[in-house]
Amino acid sequence: MKPDVQEVLGQLAQTLIADIGPRIGDAYGQSSAAIIGMLLSAAAEEWDRAAAWRVEENTVLRALFRDADAAVEDERLRERLAEAASGRDPGLRIGELARANDALRSLLIELHAHVEALGSPAARALEEQIWEELRASTERRALSIAPF
Amino acid sequence: MEELSARFARYVERQWSEVDDVRVESIARVHGGASRETYRVRVSYLRDGVEPRGERGLILRRDPVGSLIETERSTEFAAYRAFHGSAVPVPEALWLEEQTEWLERPFFVMEEIGGCESSPQALILPPYDAAEIARQKWTILGLIAAADPEALGLDASMEGVAPEACWSRELDYWVGVIDADELEPQPIGRAAIRWLRRNPPPPPDRIHVVHGDYRTGNFLVDPESRVRGILDWEMAHLGDPLEDLAWSLNRIWCWARDDRVGGLVARDRAIAIWEAASRLEADPTALHWWELFSSVKGLAIWLSGGREYRDGANRDPVLGFTAWWLSNSQDRALLETLGRLK
Repeated sequence: MKPDVQEVLGQLAQTLIADIGPRIGDAYGQSSAAIIGMLLSAAAEEWDRAAAWRVEENTVLRALFRDADAAVEDERLRERLAEAASGRDPGLRIGELARANDALRSLLIELHAHVEALGSPAARALEEQIWEELRASTERRALSIAPF
Repeated sequence: MEELSARFARYVERQWSEVDDVRVESIARVHGGASRETYRVRVSYLRDGVEPRGERGLILRRDPVGSLIETERSTEFAAYRAFHGSAVPVPEALWLEEQTEWLERPFFVMEEIGGCESSPQALILPPYDAAEIARQKWTILGLIAAADPEALGLDASMEGVAPEACWSRELDYWVGVIDADELEPQPIGRAAIRWLRRNPPPPPDRIHVVHGDYRTGNFLVDPESRVRGILDWEMAHLGDPLEDLAWSLNRIWCWARDDRVGGLVARDRAIAIWEAASRLEADPTALHWWELFSSVKGLAIWLSGGREYRDGANRDPVLGFTAWWLSNSQDRALLETLGRLK
């Protein structure tokens, strides 16, 4: 057995913050060591979940686009949503998942702006669904060291 | 660092005509301000060639290659000059150098205010008196709001703006930063921007001085909890004073991880202190607009820092760190202000 990436990054963070940092001679170096340590700590936290939350979010967004059909009044946007809804993640590498997520979130911005301008009950319901997903998206990305 | 010391000593000797044989006794870079390299420098000198040597603490602020925010050093320098000696405590700004021959990049120099603390994490805890610091913090911000830009001469060094255009100028600028620097889509930020454009705030009564980055962490406090110097005027401009109040109230600065704004005091108390000192009313509707704007501005700054770090324009780890540490929190602050967090 060897320590996994999360454990290694977490230990490196602690070593840098508690051991190496205080022995650096100048304040800027000490401060930089502490900041790098906190970045490593955040990277350790993100490493374990990075694929999971992207897969989850991409799945949620595709389902949301599938459900958007009744509310959307722009034919071209409806087609693009249907196309995105039928898509799949190309693989489980973080880069692949992130590129898919970027494309889906770009489309979400367009969809959100579109339904904001509509007055139908279906549009209002979809808008509430979008806000709920946006709130959930911040939970997925939350870091334990973050201030809020 | 030795070369920087030698060059800086030559510069000080030329600028400070009353002294000679200037030597840099110590120089250390510190994290301070988001947009410039900051150095704490101790110089010694002779006056009229006579011993003993005098000593003085200086702060050197040099333009970086890249930064969190791109700002005009002359504006920052002018703000320090304008408020020095007033009820708004600031260090004395000494020299502004636009030429690159001295230290390769432009810079300015100001006096060091020694023996003080600025770390938010320290100031919100004993032995510091958080309530007293809060009283001074928002009183001073009220005094900045009450100041007359023309009387201070700041209308000459800061770009003018009509009261009804304050909101759109600031929003356009920071949206431009997000457009240029975002590394991934920002659905929450974009929704907030659309809301801000649909619901413009009422204009201010007149044009005021706006500090631009007024928060716990950007002022110096002595051991008796007295605020001794307001720092980091790099984003100072003319505009709506509610912009500053809103920024100071932003959720991201709740360092105690509870509802105390700036980690110091209840929100209503902070607003009341500001209103008393500024003799202005913080209209809740307008303040709400500026609070949402302040989170868009915050998001723009964190994204911009992340871009600088990723592109290699500036490898200071603080830029990469703030992008990770604060972007999602800023999104949550946007949701909270929009009433969409629960």
